[in-house]
Amino acid sequence: MLLKIAWRNVWRNKRRSLITIAAIFIAVLLAIFLRALQLGMYDNMINNVVGSYSGYVQLHSKGYWDDKTIDNAFEVNQSVLADIQNIDGVSTILKRIQAGALSSYNDLSKFVYITGIDPENEEILTDWNKRLIEGRLLKKDSKSIIVAKGVAKYYNLKIGDTLIFIGQGYHGMQAVGAYPLQGVVDMKNPNLNNYSVFMTLPVAQDFVSAENLITNLVIDKEQYFDENKIAQVIKSKINNQSYDIMTWKEMTPELDQLIEADNAGGILIIMILYMIVTFGIFGTVLMMTQERLYEFGVLISIGMRRSKLMITLIYETILLTFTGIMSGVVVSLPIVNYFYYNPLRLFGAASAQMETAGFEPVIPFMNSYDIPLTHSLIILCISLIICVYPILIIYQLQPIKAMKR
Amino acid sequence: MNVIETKNISKLYKQADQDIKALNDVSINFKKGEFTAIVGPSGSGKTTFLNTIGGLDSPSSGKVLIDNNEITKLNSNQLIDFRLRNIGFVFQSYNLIPVLTAKENVEFIMLMQGSSKSIRDKRSVELLKSVGLDDQLNRRPNQLSGGQQQRVAVARALASKPKFVLADEPTANLDSSSTSNLLDIMSRLNKKEKMTFIFSTHDQRVIDRANRIITLEDGKILSDINVK
Repeated sequence: MLLKIAWRNVWRNKRRSLITIAAIFIAVLLAIFLRALQLGMYDNMINNVVGSYSGYVQLHSKGYWDDKTIDNAFEVNQSVLADIQNIDGVSTILKRIQAGALSSYNDLSKFVYITGIDPENEEILTDWNKRLIEGRLLKKDSKSIIVAKGVAKYYNLKIGDTLIFIGQGYHGMQAVGAYPLQGVVDMKNPNLNNYSVFMTLPVAQDFVSAENLITNLVIDKEQYFDENKIAQVIKSKINNQSYDIMTWKEMTPELDQLIEADNAGGILIIMILYMIVTFGIFGTVLMMTQERLYEFGVLISIGMRRSKLMITLIYETILLTFTGIMSGVVVSLPIVNYFYYNPLRLFGAASAQMETAGFEPVIPFMNSYDIPLTHSLIILCISLIICVYPILIIYQLQPIKAMKR
Repeated sequence: MNVIETKNISKLYKQADQDIKALNDVSINFKKGEFTAIVGPSGSGKTTFLNTIGGLDSPSSGKVLIDNNEITKLNSNQLIDFRLRNIGFVFQSYNLIPVLTAKENVEFIMLMQGSSKSIRDKRSVELLKSVGLDDQLNRRPNQLSGGQQQRVAVARALASKPKFVLADEPTANLDSSSTSNLLDIMSRLNKKEKMTFIFSTHDQRVIDRANRIITLEDGKILSDINVK
């Protein structure tokens, strides 16, 4: 019956309760919408750069990251590979060799990064099938190359055309080669699209005269595993003197900082929303308490324990908040879901800005139960904190004084 | 046997640095089945006296015993439980819970006592029938007249099977027909079930029905008359 009384009390002043519920509804809706948009955008950025190409953790020879020359290539032994593969949360390990080279075609030339890959393993991380826009993908024994769409566009390449590369090989060797084009891929990242050329690992090793050597060991993780923990375990298992183990945040700190800075702004907006809602709920609870002191005095007089009265008032606050939260969640979910499957595509200056920063100009929303759950719980916690006020009032209430008001 | 005993109770209030004696050494007993009216001018201490014997207010000195239990020694929570199980209250402004129906208002007290649903259902209907409101069970207070609300309040006061009922000016807001109706019900319950009623009142119609009239003035008992 206490719950029934609480529910009916919520509706004693319909207009006031509806205004409060509407405030909570709007706050929850906006919070979920904003966070789904922001986190979706970050997720997309990370996926563009990290999840689908660089991997969450990489292992290099000591000093390679600061001096990315082929001379810092290393040979990775099987025991190290096995140690890493056995770590909980590690899903895929990819060997890559990467070197800068000057490419040329007809009378044009361009600096590119040649990356030697293991096509079969690489497929797991990079999902080449989805990226291929023309031609064929590399096979294990391919001798030709695939290029990113920016490179193909720059040279106006067609399948079968041959690109010439000149660069520096391992330990001063000259790296020169001509390779026919067998495919064009979209790397979903403007920087990668403008500079990427791929060949198989043996062909690339042969090009830079670095047999059995690699420059990057890319370690991808299972979903929801913490890359920092994986990096820590790897550090503890292998010889730190020879290798650098870096997470994506260390490899691309500018992306992490960009996300952190943007995220801070988003959190600030959400906090302002919460403050407004807090005052909205508190105002209602304050009025619901103060205007009923006489009634509380009567209830205590006729034998209602203070604890039961407190519970009733907590129910009232929670019911009021819960109604607002649930309506916000119910309305926001289909909206978020729609934009998850139909990402916002940016146009004009905003699109150009995103592309300049190296990201695909789309904003897919994050469709995770975490977002509504987190924001619902935060608002519920706020309402529980607000409940302290009526609890204190009831605790101190003297029925005689209350009934004299 | 005495249901209520007060022994030399006094109640002092401080008002603008002045001590005001709302009750002054009041010793009085009430027996089971009495229908008592406490009368006196405003400020004579009627309400303070009812509040003190009802455990809503504590005396500055003296003792209040209900069925030989000294309630002045009980703490706040014990007093609430004591009131719930031993005392029925009827207030001048009815004070029903506005969001509950007549039946739910009567049930509420039994719910606080921990009675089962079937007992609550049965007794609340019986009580509302006894006050002539068996056709208004599902109406909320704002759908009832003042007289009907006060009758629900009487039914609520009796729901806990109290040892006595305290009624503070119960007819002050009622018209003469409702007053007469309410007093008939209370008299009947008093006679039939030996329920002890103690009223504070200015209303001559209540005084006329009482079998004991206690007059207070300046916190002291001026007279204590058994009428019938």
